[in-house]
Amino acid sequence: MRMAAEFILRPISRKYDKAEHEPPLEMEQLNQAAAAQKKESGVGDDSVKSMDLGGRSLWAVISLEQMCWGDVGLFLARPGTGLGNAAIMAVGNQEQKALWGKRWAAMAITEPAAGSDSKNISTTAVLEGDEWVLNGEKIYVTDGDRCDCVVVWATLNKDMGKTAIRSFIVEKGTPGFTVARLEKKLGIRASDTATLIFDNCRIPRENLLGGKEEIETDINAAKKSFGGAMQTFDNTRPMVAGMAIGLGQAALDMTRALLTEEGYEDNFGRSMHQQTAIQNELEMLEAELEAARLLVYKSAWMMDNKMPNSKEASMGKAKAGRIGNRISLKCVEICSMQGFSEDHLLEKFSRDSKILDIFEGTQQIQQLIVARQVLGKSSSQLK
Amino acid sequence: MQDYNTEHPFDITLSEDQQMTWDMLRKFGETELRPHARQAESDGRPSDELLEKIKSLDLIPLIIPEAYGGMGLEQDSVSNALALEALAYGDLSLAMSVSIPLLTAQIISEHGSEEQKAELLPMFVNGSIFHVGLGINNTMLATDPYQSSVTADESGEEIILNGSKTGVAFANEANTFLISASNESGECNLYFVNKDQEGVEIEDKEFMGLKGAPLSQINLSNCKINASQKLGGHNYSINYESLVDSSRIGMSALALGVCQAVLDYVVPYTNERVAFDEPISNRQSVAFMIADMAIETEALRLMIYKAAALKDLGEDFHKQASLTYRFATHHGMKIGTDGVQLLGGHGFTHEHPVELWYRNLRAIGIFEGGAGV
Repeated sequence: MRMAAEFILRPISRKYDKAEHEPPLEMEQLNQAAAAQKKESGVGDDSVKSMDLGGRSLWAVISLEQMCWGDVGLFLARPGTGLGNAAIMAVGNQEQKALWGKRWAAMAITEPAAGSDSKNISTTAVLEGDEWVLNGEKIYVTDGDRCDCVVVWATLNKDMGKTAIRSFIVEKGTPGFTVARLEKKLGIRASDTATLIFDNCRIPRENLLGGKEEIETDINAAKKSFGGAMQTFDNTRPMVAGMAIGLGQAALDMTRALLTEEGYEDNFGRSMHQQTAIQNELEMLEAELEAARLLVYKSAWMMDNKMPNSKEASMGKAKAGRIGNRISLKCVEICSMQGFSEDHLLEKFSRDSKILDIFEGTQQIQQLIVARQVLGKSSSQLK
Repeated sequence: MQDYNTEHPFDITLSEDQQMTWDMLRKFGETELRPHARQAESDGRPSDELLEKIKSLDLIPLIIPEAYGGMGLEQDSVSNALALEALAYGDLSLAMSVSIPLLTAQIISEHGSEEQKAELLPMFVNGSIFHVGLGINNTMLATDPYQSSVTADESGEEIILNGSKTGVAFANEANTFLISASNESGECNLYFVNKDQEGVEIEDKEFMGLKGAPLSQINLSNCKINASQKLGGHNYSINYESLVDSSRIGMSALALGVCQAVLDYVVPYTNERVAFDEPISNRQSVAFMIADMAIETEALRLMIYKAAALKDLGEDFHKQASLTYRFATHHGMKIGTDGVQLLGGHGFTHEHPVELWYRNLRAIGIFEGGAGV
C-alpha cells in the first residue's frame, strides 16, 4: 500500500489538486494494487469494492493510513468504493448486498438545513404502490457525480423525528435524480463533492435499505432502527481517523526530509536545553500522532473483536482529526516559505487535512459523543 | 511510516494475572493509600503503620532473586507499568515510596556484583527498603538527562565524585546511596557512596509536590570511593540510557494513575454540582473538557502499553519511551490543571484532592528515576 501511495498517488497529487472535477484515470492502478494486497492478506478480493471487512477493520485502517500518506483527495476519488458501500454492508439484506455490494455507492445525508443533526433532514420518501417517491436536496455528497448509485437518507414523516428516517438506494440515471452542481473546495479537490436533487424520483420498493416500511410506534424498536443507521459511523470513523494519521505522518516525513537537507537531526528524549525549538516541536507532534494512531487502532481492534466501540471510535476520530490539522499546519509554519509554496505538497496537506476533522462527524460532535458516554448523559441532557 | 507487523498483532487484552494484580493494587491504592495522602503530606512522610501495609504487598521481595531471599519472579514491563498506575491511582507520593526502592532493588539485582547483591538485597527482603537511596535527578538545569550532574574521576586508584543530586527519597533513612555520575569518557554509571564517609552532605529540600515522601539533595565534594564501589564492579558499565528510558515509562505509568484519578473524580462532581438549575456537566464547555481528559488519558495508557511491550520484546524502545514521557508530561499537566478548574474555587482548597494531584503531576517530566518497568 505504501509503495502504491508513493509511486501511484504522489506523482499525480498536484495534477488533480489543480484539475478539480476531472476524474483521475490513473486510479484504477491503485485498485489493482489494493486487490493484490488484499489477496496476499487472505481477505476475499470482492471485499475490495464492497467494503465488507469481515473482522479486518484494523487491517483496513492501516491500509487507509498508508494510502492517505500518499494523497487523501486521490484516495477518496478512488473508483469503486464510497461510504454508501459501508452502509449497504452494515444494514442491507442478503439480496441488497449481492445486488449493490460491488457497485460504487455514495452516501447522501447532509442537507442545506441539516448537517450534524442528521435526524432533522427533510428529504421525503412516500410509498406509492410498489415505488418510493423521493423529494429533496442533498449536499456535500462525496463521489456523488462519479458513483453508480447513492444511499439516500429520507424521512417517512418529518413530524416523527428520527424514528421515521430510512435510507434508500437510488441508481444513477433514475428519472428525477440530477446532479445539480459540483462544489469547489479548500482541499481534497481530486474527490468530487456533489449537490443532488431528487424531484419526484421513483425507485423500486425493495430499494429501502434495512428497517421497516412503517414507522415503529414502539419507542425501543424505533430507537434501534435509527441506532442501526448511526452504527455505520462506529465502522467508518476509525477509517476516516486512519486517513488523518496517514496525512499527519506524510506532513511530518516531508518536513523532516526538508529539514534534513539543511542539517537537521532528531534529538528525542533530551532536556529542553539541548533541543532546538524545532526538535522540541517535532517530538511533541510525533508523540501526539502516535497517541492518535494507537487510539484509532484500538477502536478498529474492538470492532474486529465485536466489542461495542462507539466511544473509542469517537475518541480516535476526535484526536486524529485535530492532530492531523495541527501537524499539517505546523509543518507549513516550520518549513516557512517552502511550506507555503506549491513547490511542495505541505500546503496541500494542510488544506486536505481540514475536512478530516469535519466529515464523519466534526471534532465537536465527537467530543459530544465521548462526553455523553463518560458522563452517562442522554442527548437531551447534554445537547 | 509504521509497518503493520503481523507477527505482533495489536492486542491489548490483559492476561488473567495482570488483571488480577491490577484489580488488587488499584483497590489498595484507593482504599489504603488515598485516604492517607493528606496526612502523609503534612507529616512529610508516610506513617510507619502505612509503610508496613505497603511492605506487606511484597512487591520488592517478588523481584529479588531467590539466592538473596526473594521470590525471583521476572516481571514483564507491561505488568510493572500496570502496577505503578494502580498504586498512583491512590496517591503519587505514596506510590513512589514503594516504586523508588523497587527500582533500586531492580537495578541492584540486574547490575550489581555478587558482593553488592549479597550485601544489599537480603535487607530489602527483610523489610528495610530505604537502606539504599537512589540519586538520579540532576541539580543543574542544562545537564543531559542521560548524563549526570555528578562527575566521576576514574583516573587513579580511587574514584572521586563531585557534584550534587536532588530528589533523593528517604535519604535520612539510607546507609548507602546509589548515585549516577559521568566519567571523563562521557559514560554514565552508578556508584555506591556510604552516607557517613567524608565529602557527603545531605540537605533536606521541599518541593511543590510529592510532599508525602521526604526528598533531599546529596552534595558530594571530593568524595573518594574505592573502584569496587562502582555498581557491577570495577570494569562494569551499564546502559544508562536504557535505565533512564525505562524509568520514564514508569513515571508515565504513575502519571496515568493520577490522570485517571482526576477523571474519575470530576465526573461525579460535575454531574452533582448544580449551577443555573442544572448539573454543570450539562454544559458543553464543561463536558468537552472532560471528553478531552478521557481521550488523552486513554491515549496515554496505550502509549505506555506500547513502550513497555517494546521493551518486553527486546526491541529498541528509546523513541517510544521519549514520546510517551513527553506526552505524559504535557497532557498530565493539562489534566491536572483542568481538574482544579472544573471544581472552581472548591478545587483550590484542601477539601478536595484535585489541587494535590495538580501539584504532584507537575513532577512528571521533571523527576527521573522515580519508578522502573
